[in-house]
Amino acid sequence: MDIYPIVFHFFAALVTISALGVVLMPSPIYSALCLALTMLFLSGLFFILDAQFLAAVQLMVYAGAVVVLFVMVLMLFDLRNENQPFSGNWRVNLSKLGVIALGFILIALPCTYLMKASNSEWLQSRGLETKKLAELLFSKHIFAFEVVGALLTVVLIGAIALAKAKGGTHARTE
Amino acid sequence: MGKDIFEVGINLAKVAVIFLMMIQAVPLLVWLERRGSAFIQNRLGPNRVGPLGLLQLLADAVKFIFKEQFIPGNAAKFLFLAAPVVALIPAALAFTAIPLSIPIQVEAFEMLGKSWGPYTFQFQGVKMDSGIIYILAVSSLGAYGLLLAGWASANKYSLMGALRASAQMISYELGLGLSIVGILMIYGTFDLNAMIDMQKGPLQFSFLGSEYVIPFLPNWGIFYQPLGALLFFICNFAESNRLPFDLPESEGELVAGFHTEYGGFKMLMFFMGEYGHMMVGAGLVTTFYLGGYLIPGLTEDTVRTLIATEVGAGTVANLLTALVFHVSFIVKLALLLWIFIWVRWTLPRFRYDTLMNLGWKTLLPWTLANAAITAIVLYFARGI
Repeated sequence: MDIYPIVFHFFAALVTISALGVVLMPSPIYSALCLALTMLFLSGLFFILDAQFLAAVQLMVYAGAVVVLFVMVLMLFDLRNENQPFSGNWRVNLSKLGVIALGFILIALPCTYLMKASNSEWLQSRGLETKKLAELLFSKHIFAFEVVGALLTVVLIGAIALAKAKGGTHARTE
Repeated sequence: MGKDIFEVGINLAKVAVIFLMMIQAVPLLVWLERRGSAFIQNRLGPNRVGPLGLLQLLADAVKFIFKEQFIPGNAAKFLFLAAPVVALIPAALAFTAIPLSIPIQVEAFEMLGKSWGPYTFQFQGVKMDSGIIYILAVSSLGAYGLLLAGWASANKYSLMGALRASAQMISYELGLGLSIVGILMIYGTFDLNAMIDMQKGPLQFSFLGSEYVIPFLPNWGIFYQPLGALLFFICNFAESNRLPFDLPESEGELVAGFHTEYGGFKMLMFFMGEYGHMMVGAGLVTTFYLGGYLIPGLTEDTVRTLIATEVGAGTVANLLTALVFHVSFIVKLALLLWIFIWVRWTLPRFRYDTLMNLGWKTLLPWTLANAAITAIVLYFARGI
C-alpha cells in the first residue's frame, strides 16, 4: 500500500483547517498562531515532496522568524477591544466564508489546470537535492536571485530610515 | 521504517528510548548543576538525601508531580497549558537527528520459527540526509514555547520575559546559522553522519597542491574552524537561554520571567526544554567540531576485532563496539555540558542592550567574516 496519498491528505487537511483558523479565530493572537501552524504543516507538505531544503527554510524563515515577530508585536497590544472586529456576528462570518470560497475557486481552478499541463515536468523535478537547487540558483537564476537580494536590502534600509524619521527608541536626538 | 515487523518495531522503540535518554539526563544535569555551582561558590550543595545527594533527584521528581496545579485567573487557559509542551517538543525533535554512535549490524538469526535479518540499525533517532537543516528548522520553533507562556500567564513580568526571549532567540539564530556556514563549506554536506565520517583518521589536508599530515592530532573540525566553533558555542548559550544570556528569566528584574506563573510539572517541562536545547547544542558542537562519536587513534575495526576476540564475532560484538563509541560521544557531550554549567556560575548576566549589541554588532560580523574567509581560503587551497 502506498502511504504517500494518506500522508498528503492528512497534511492538506491540516493546512486547510489551520488556514481557516487564521481567518475565523476571534482573537488576532490566535489567528497568528494558526498562521504559524499553517506554515508548519505546509513545510510538512514540502517534506513529503522530497523538497527538504524548502521545507526547512519554510519552517526557519516563516514559522521561526516572521510569525514569531507577528505574535510578539500582537502581544504588546491591549487586545480586549481588538476582539470585536475579528469575531463579528454570523453575517460577517458567512461573508468571510463566501470570500474564501470565491478566492479558492479563482486560484485553485487555474492552478489545477496548469498543474495538469506541466505535471510531467513537475514529477521530474521531484527529489530536487539542495546541491542541485544551489547550482540552479547560482547559475541559471543568478540575476533574479541577486536582484531579490538587493531589493530586500533596500527594503530593510528604507524601513530603518523611516523608523528613525518617525521617532522611537532609535530616533536621532536633536 | 523497515521491511518487516522486527525492524519497524526496533526503529520505533529506538525513537522512544532516545527521547527517554534525553529526558533522564535532565535530573542528572540538575544535580550536577546544583552540586557544581555549590563547589564553585565554596558551598556543599544538596548532600543530605542519599549518597552524594543523588536521591535528592527522586525527591524533586516526587515534588514536581504532586505539587498543586495552579492556573492564574486571567490566564488564557489553553495556551497556558500548551506552552510547556511547545517548549519541550523542538528540543526533543532536534535531538533525534544527532548520530550517537556507529550503526549496529545485526546478523541473521532464528526467532519464533522464522529466520530474520540481517539488519543495520542506526544509533540515532532518525537518519536524515539534511540533518543539520532539519535541526536548525525545528529548534527555531523554540521561541514559541516561551512566547506563549509569557502571554498566556497574563502577568507583566512574564510578558516582558517572553518578549526578551523571542527577540533574543531570533537575533542569535542569525549568528547560529551563519557560524556553521564555514564548516558546511569544508565538509560539503548537510548529512551529520557523512560529516563524522570525514573526521576519521589523523589531521590531514591539502593546501596549495601539497598534502599535509599531522599524525598526533585527530582530523576534527575544530582544527579547521576554531573561530566558527567558538561562535557557534556562544550562540548556543543564547539559544538555550542560559546565563550569561538568560535575560528572559533574570530574577533580579523579572521575578522569574516567562515562567513566573508556572510551578510543578509544567515548570519542569520548561526546564527539560532548556536542558534539551543545551544537549542539542552540545551534540552539534561534538558532531561538527569534535569528531562526533569517534575516538582519536582508534578505528571501528580495531575496536571490533578487540571485542570479537573476547566474545566472538557477531551481533554481540557489534553491539558492544557501538556502545564503546557511544560512551565516547557521551564523554564529549558531558564535557561540553559541564562547560555550559561552569560558565553559568562564573559569568555575570548581560544587560539587555549589551546582549543585543553583542548579537548584532559583534557575532554577526564575525560569523560573516568567518564564512567569507573560509570561502576564499577554500577557493585557493583546493583550486576549485
